[in-house]
Amino acid sequence: MANARALDNRRKSVKNIKKITRTMELIATARFKQAMDRAMSATGYTGRITQVVNDLANSGLEVSHPLLEKRDETRSSVLLVLTSNRGLCGGYNGNVIRAGVERKAALESESEKFKLQVSGKRGVAGLKFRGIEADRVYTQFEDKPLFSEVSEVANGFLDAFAAGTIDRLDVAYTRFLSVSKQEAVVETLLPLDSIGGPSDAGGGDEDRGESKHSSVYEFIPSPESILEEVVPTSFKVKLFKCFLDAAVSEQIARMVAMKSATENASDMIKQLSMEYNRARQSQITGEIMEIIGGVEALES
Amino acid sequence: MATVTNVGKVTQVIGSTFDAEYAEDQMPAIYNAVKIEIDVAGETETLTGEVAKHLGGGRVRCVALGSTDGLRRGADCVDTGSPVSVPVGDATLGRVFNMKGEAIDGRGEVKADAYKPIHQPAPKVEELSTNTELFETGIKVVDLLTPFVRGGKAGLFGGAGLGKTVILTELIARIASSHGGYSVFAGVGERTREGTDLWLEMQETQIGDTGRSVIEQTCMVFGQMNEPPGSRLRVALSALTMAEHFRDTTGADTLLFVDNIFRFSQAGSEVSALLGRMPSAVGYQPTLATEMGALQERIASTDKGAITSVQAVYVPADDPTDPAPATAFGQLDAFLYLERSISEKGIYPAVDPLKSSSRILDPQYVGDRHYEVARRVQTTLQRYRELQDIIAILGVDELSEEDKLVVHRARRIERFLSQPFLVAEVFTGKPGEITPLADTIRSFEEICDGKWDHLPESAFMYVGAIEQAEEQAKRMAAEVE
Repeated sequence: MANARALDNRRKSVKNIKKITRTMELIATARFKQAMDRAMSATGYTGRITQVVNDLANSGLEVSHPLLEKRDETRSSVLLVLTSNRGLCGGYNGNVIRAGVERKAALESESEKFKLQVSGKRGVAGLKFRGIEADRVYTQFEDKPLFSEVSEVANGFLDAFAAGTIDRLDVAYTRFLSVSKQEAVVETLLPLDSIGGPSDAGGGDEDRGESKHSSVYEFIPSPESILEEVVPTSFKVKLFKCFLDAAVSEQIARMVAMKSATENASDMIKQLSMEYNRARQSQITGEIMEIIGGVEALES
Repeated sequence: MATVTNVGKVTQVIGSTFDAEYAEDQMPAIYNAVKIEIDVAGETETLTGEVAKHLGGGRVRCVALGSTDGLRRGADCVDTGSPVSVPVGDATLGRVFNMKGEAIDGRGEVKADAYKPIHQPAPKVEELSTNTELFETGIKVVDLLTPFVRGGKAGLFGGAGLGKTVILTELIARIASSHGGYSVFAGVGERTREGTDLWLEMQETQIGDTGRSVIEQTCMVFGQMNEPPGSRLRVALSALTMAEHFRDTTGADTLLFVDNIFRFSQAGSEVSALLGRMPSAVGYQPTLATEMGALQERIASTDKGAITSVQAVYVPADDPTDPAPATAFGQLDAFLYLERSISEKGIYPAVDPLKSSSRILDPQYVGDRHYEVARRVQTTLQRYRELQDIIAILGVDELSEEDKLVVHRARRIERFLSQPFLVAEVFTGKPGEITPLADTIRSFEEICDGKWDHLPESAFMYVGAIEQAEEQAKRMAAEVE
């Protein structure tokens, strides 16, 4: 027979946990909506950029830009891992870290110098536990990453790439495919392997379809100068998209994790209540039996 | 001693107790055996009773040590003048007895040189041995977490069907087969079938390489489930008397196995109300602790010799706070608690590593390294248990990295505590493993250090030392391919 009071205490604590997870679930749902809207509107922009780049390509122009050139030797590489600042989001951070660590091993063996940059406190802590120290840490990105902030980071990478201090940039993040599917991926952003837009979900497809018909443009001033402008922007947009995807995925992961946590807590409360009632009942029965037994023994 | 004159008449029969009336000045003493001839379906049988209470006016109340079927008021009740006595000494070896010391193995009467009353005082304080020495069993979980004491008492606590009898049989197979001294087995209120199995198995098991079977150094005393409560109440004392004799006369290490000490308390509670005592907590006899104490205090090692005893204790309704197991608990040196949730995972022996303990799990007796490793194992498992609610609600991903590692290792340790048994070969399909203590300590230390984190969990099931887990992992990998 379990101790009724201990069971009741445990049930109370599970109830409190349930309250928290339920609230977290609701908050995550609201934030997910916002993050999703932002990601969707960014998709429109990236779609346009893609279209412009495709138009340039279709104009018969020889596309060449330093950012697009694959360097013969990758001497120094950088891996940027995008994680969240907060926990309680299931396997979200764990998956990204795992993907990141895998790529890190590959990059370290390929290039002489390797730098690791991490965004999000969870990632920093998770990697530290695995004995990996980040060379640079960003913690300013919450669930609403701003383009201006991302652009700053992107400029840093662009300058370093142009100066030749880095030859390759990889980003590990959680790609948002649909509301029910997100996956941890590692993408190479520098050098840009193609000038196509980011491999985005949603709106991008139809724009690409249209671009075939609307390729006849005149470029003023020259296509080269436009390319000069568009390629770095394309990189920034790609990076921004990574941050946005990560933010949306984080909220979805949290929503799902908290939903199942709430359900688990409900099940547990049900189970504990049953055990508690049974324990209480048998305690009462036992005491009554003792009293009756005692009385009868005295009578006989 | 019994004089013809000391004959009383049965005046009342209440279940398994009866009253008899004697002349006021010739009442039989407490604990004296009295005999009654009963006529059952044309055959005459002798019922033995034990005087438990003097009611006044020449009346005594007795506990029947056999069935009271056919007993009637007015029957002659003869005082034997002494308590029930059982044969002791070498003549008892290899034989099977009932509580009254009569052979029940169908090999004729036992001709013993000496008989001893089953009620004896416990050894005096100054006679007790103060030696404390570890008693190796080759079972990993026992040796590491609940080391047995040579000349001490160990208890196996567990609810119904958790494998108490299997562990006890295993210990007999392990200890008795490598043991030079004598063994005494007391079957108290358990299944007769299990007793027969054990008897047959003991005939087959050899002592070391001597070519002699274990039974030749063993005597067995049974008062099983089918016997009336009086018999079950006293059978442990009969066995103990035989064991005491070996201890005191030969000085050899004697082993005493009792299955199941709870039935002793249960039998006591069955007759208690009939004797007119008021029931105490949970309906047990008010004298529960006294009875248990009187029995357990006699199971002791003295300067003449040692009795190492292993007792199974049934835990009713899996509730260790029940007065019967709780009373037995205080008497023991080592204490194994079998847990249902562990047996449900298919891990046998289902010893709960956190609830089980031993008096000598102390650096003073087992050494610093052993103690350290045992504590680390317990801390890891304790932390895992604390985290279990969180895992159930939030999932394992929400744990901090340190806690994830704890869970990872705890799950491996949990499985590594299982072990194939010699007597359970038919169930596990694996030959029994006897793991030396040094291997046990080293294996657990390495798991705690994280040396074997890479092996899959199932590799740790039912192996001996850690190297076997590695082999099993390789074998499993090969099977998958």
